[in-house]
Amino acid sequence: MRTSGRTSKRLTINQKYSLTGWGFLAPAAILICVMNFYPMIQALVLSFQTGIGNNLQFGGLSNYARLLKDPVFRTALVNNFVYLIIQVPIMLILALILASVLNIKDLKGKGIFRTAIFLPCCTSLVSYAIIFKTLFSYDGYVNTVLMNLGLISERVNWLSQEGSAKVIIILALIWRWTGYNMVFYLAGLQNIDDSLYEAAKIDGANAIQSFFKITVPMLKPTILLTTIMSTNGTLQLFDESVNLTGGGPANSTLTMSHYIYKASFEYNPQFGYAAAMSYVIFILVAILAFVQMKVGDKR
Amino acid sequence: MKKKVLSILMTAMMALSLAACGSTDNSTAPAAGTDSQPATAESVKTEAETPAGEQTLKVWCWDSFNVDAMKTAGAMYEAEHPGVSIVVEETLSKDIQTIVQTCAMSGQLDSLPDVFLMDDQVFTKYLQNYPEVFADLTDSGIAFSDFAASKVANSVSGGKNFGVPYDSNTVIACYRTDYLEQAGYTVADLTDITWDQFIEIGKVVKEKTGMPMLTNVQGEPDLLNMILQSAGISVFDEDGKIDLVDNEGLKEAMEVYMTLVKEGILQEQVDWSGYQGSINNGTVVGTINGSWICATIMSTDQAEQEGNWAVTNMPKLNDYAGATNYSAQGGSTWAVCSASKNYDLAVDFFKSTWAGSTEFYDSILTDLGAIATYLPAAESEAYNQKSAYFNDEAIYSKIVSYGGKIPTVNKGIYWTEEKEALGIALSKVINGKSDLDAAIAEAQSTVEFNMGQ
Repeated sequence: MRTSGRTSKRLTINQKYSLTGWGFLAPAAILICVMNFYPMIQALVLSFQTGIGNNLQFGGLSNYARLLKDPVFRTALVNNFVYLIIQVPIMLILALILASVLNIKDLKGKGIFRTAIFLPCCTSLVSYAIIFKTLFSYDGYVNTVLMNLGLISERVNWLSQEGSAKVIIILALIWRWTGYNMVFYLAGLQNIDDSLYEAAKIDGANAIQSFFKITVPMLKPTILLTTIMSTNGTLQLFDESVNLTGGGPANSTLTMSHYIYKASFEYNPQFGYAAAMSYVIFILVAILAFVQMKVGDKR
Repeated sequence: MKKKVLSILMTAMMALSLAACGSTDNSTAPAAGTDSQPATAESVKTEAETPAGEQTLKVWCWDSFNVDAMKTAGAMYEAEHPGVSIVVEETLSKDIQTIVQTCAMSGQLDSLPDVFLMDDQVFTKYLQNYPEVFADLTDSGIAFSDFAASKVANSVSGGKNFGVPYDSNTVIACYRTDYLEQAGYTVADLTDITWDQFIEIGKVVKEKTGMPMLTNVQGEPDLLNMILQSAGISVFDEDGKIDLVDNEGLKEAMEVYMTLVKEGILQEQVDWSGYQGSINNGTVVGTINGSWICATIMSTDQAEQEGNWAVTNMPKLNDYAGATNYSAQGGSTWAVCSASKNYDLAVDFFKSTWAGSTEFYDSILTDLGAIATYLPAAESEAYNQKSAYFNDEAIYSKIVSYGGKIPTVNKGIYWTEEKEALGIALSKVINGKSDLDAAIAEAQSTVEFNMGQ
């Protein structure tokens, strides 16, 4: 009786270990719950409420019903998908090509090139957006260069036309994020055994063949990861829309996140509606990630 | 071994940073306590014993122009009231709006300052949405009748006053006389004219100098709103409902705006700095804006611009009934926070400076060029001083005389939404994506949608 009492008080070595483990985990876990999950639940509750500012009352699904009738949200959604469908593939293919080129063993100045391509990632989102805006403004650098080269006869107001404004945002995104994705591919490439390439070479495969038959399949998990990250990032695009074009002209570059911000802080605050929109983005990202995982990951 | 040293170092660093966090936490908490609690005790004590004890009035405003004006007022008041200090903290207009909104949402009003400045375009919106933030000044003894009526109306809700008007929002038209001369015009040709006449002059000027008459920020139809107010056209009806469709005045004003853009008389700029740049770099003949734009005009580094600017009134909306050459744009108003423990001090401060001292207004006019809406100040000699920058003309008395002629319009709290919707409508019509009626109908439904929450 006595002995059993003592053993029950004393922890076994395994229990001790797991207690220590939980001890280390607890602060982070609690912080994540308080800072992340609690606001997420609050936002879900908020998305069921309607009203302006602090005068909120329960409105059921009315915010979600309202979303279906909102032409501006629809425009923003379409804009986001245009960015996603055009920009993400271009960027990832470019990153993949750059990564394989910069992985060539006897290439000189590899470090410099890698750094140069990665550097845009270190710039702040706001400042690079403003720089792009300045470049493409009416009296900006791009107009001046094109005029001097004789390619255009009159200055173009790039950011005040729907098509060109969208293209500029896509260009800006490619400039900013290609290097970031390239680093993932470079890391992935280090895990591919050289003997595979050597064997392919002996079998008479050329560089293009070994790229498609070895590099791409071997990098599949990394490609999947970058695709999901880029999808997530593109759907939450905010800084470029706010700082580069201000969502204009006529909402043609407005993103969903920018619209959420407007609904909360620029218009008369519609926090419930903004929370509902956030949840729609969340669900969209979840669905797309799920689809990509199903399609891409066959392990 | 190396690894061990490294891990010890890392642990030490983490511990230190944690400790640092902890200590700041500890230090801020009592600091906040000392800030509010003894201050309350103190103010209670001073109110009971000596009204002129140690008191601090905290003020938030933006822009060196406003900050300096407030500091001048503070220094004047401090000199007469020993023990009182007026602390001015520079806070951006957008930040003040966001902080007011956040504080109101969370109910933490005591983190707001005693007095803050608010942009007139959004004053009503915040007053309606968060009335609990604003202290009622109706019975404070501040003489609101001493201020321009169109300006006071902006901070009134339910017949009560919630703000002390500050800078003038009177619209002026400023033109480069040297450029006009090249095209064979003088400022007199641009005074008391209609938009049709302006467009004719603009075409000639564009042809002879190659420059547009005006610039504007694309998607921000400030000029359109100025035209609307100049003709007394409201885009909201008496009940605050949006009234764009079948609004003949609006349609006429939009047509004027679009003609200006199509003829190249109005050059749209990407953003505010582009707009400012066009004025300062001398790539535009003139501008039409609130009189505070004088500060921008004078901030150029091109010396040849001095003496080559002239001020006059804006064109009027042709033969539209009620059209005038006068309008309002921008400006700001002081508000007292309802949670302020120094309400009496704030009121007394305003009564002896912003709402009672013509000397004060003389001094900010002379030193800062700040044109206010305090009517007694307009009779002062200082307003008759001539400005060398504007061709030795007494522009201040001119601007004040315009101020009394501005028509009043219904603005309401959906101002931002309306402005944006009209900006989109203009952009769509100008780019040929839609015709005018359809664009106006779409703008109406967008604003109605936002009002439907």
